Amino acid sequence: MAGAPIELLEQVPLFSELDRGELEQVARLFKERRFSRGETVVMEGSGGAAFFVVAAGEASVVVGDAQRPPLQAGDYFGEIALIDEGRRSATVTAASDLLCYGLTFWEFRPLVEGSEVIAWKLLQSLAKKLRAAQAD
Amino acid sequence: MNEVLPLGEARDPTVFGSKAVGLGEATRAGLPVPPGIALSGQIVEAVASGEEEAVSTVVRLAEHLPLPLAVRSSAADEDGAQASFAGQHLTLLNVPSPSELASAVRDIWWSANSDSAITYRQRVGLFTRPSVGVVVQSLLNPDVAGVMFTQNPMNGADERVIEGSWGLGEAVVAGTVIPDHFRVDREGRTLERIPGLKQVAIRALPGGGTVEEAVPAGDVERLCLDDRQLNMLSELALRCEQVYGPARDIEWAIADGTLYLLQCRAVTRSGR
Repeated sequence: MAGAPIELLEQVPLFSELDRGELEQVARLFKERRFSRGETVVMEGSGGAAFFVVAAGEASVVVGDAQRPPLQAGDYFGEIALIDEGRRSATVTAASDLLCYGLTFWEFRPLVEGSEVIAWKLLQSLAKKLRAAQAD
Repeated sequence: MNEVLPLGEARDPTVFGSKAVGLGEATRAGLPVPPGIALSGQIVEAVASGEEEAVSTVVRLAEHLPLPLAVRSSAADEDGAQASFAGQHLTLLNVPSPSELASAVRDIWWSANSDSAITYRQRVGLFTRPSVGVVVQSLLNPDVAGVMFTQNPMNGADERVIEGSWGLGEAVVAGTVIPDHFRVDREGRTLERIPGLKQVAIRALPGGGTVEEAVPAGDVERLCLDDRQLNMLSELALRCEQVYGPARDIEWAIADGTLYLLQCRAVTRSGR
């Protein structure tokens, strides 16, 4: 099947409430994207419209001047940009050759708008993130 | 439509993008366009998604093209009069074989969906899903290449403005060199020749990709176009105006003594 591996997406909290069929729908919308070592993946402050799941390799994360824990296989970033069309909150750089699967606003929005189940599960997932952020 | 067509059959800009359709029109008019194929936005989407049937269709139809290949974006709303996507969408020169096309097409799809491209689209009021066609053409190994305006873009004067440099034209388009500058009147008389500073030339590498080569010292400030070549360009400008209308922005290359048209578009307000 074209798209992202299901096993990879199962690790992504944003999709953790989706059942297998829904996950397969989402997976088909992902496209492979490769970055060379040293390449800037996303830049803090720029507009953003894609969400990425790391499939292989490592990426460094910097917010302002602060280094954050690196991203590795199974990690994800940029999901909020799918929803609010907002600015990137961090700079992500490929620390090694990096294999990601990406999902853009353009594929994601019709999927969510067309499925109440996916939309509700996304809300639940985001609510969990919000509670976790408030608890920090 | 999930289509791949010879360039000369690309007619619908909403399917193949404006660059492919412009080159298709040039091909049908007998202008000297390198051979190529046009990929519709839908098949580009399918190839970028890794759909095997789409990939094999593109590879099969590219197999008859002389190698290596140049792979360029042709977005439906690219290069319009209101907005220029120059610099936003990727061009991949020197793709060594059709088997590497899928990766090249995917990279171009992502370039149209990158953060910078999306930010640009928002800024110019085009926050809509990009439809990205792709043009695959044989890559020339030019002695000299560059750009030409059929009307002076600075003051609107009825004269050709030509800029050229050694090797692939990307050195001129990307501003890697100070190109030679020429003005030629409508009758083909050269009005001005200003040597540039052409310290590097971009050349194709045997295994794929390109490299910046140092230009021999004697060629750095030597004019890259002679009167005969300026005449050829002047005739090309006239033919392009006959096909497309006035005020065109042309990319050209001369390889083995033959002049080729690589792109012909309307001059945009934002320039190159």
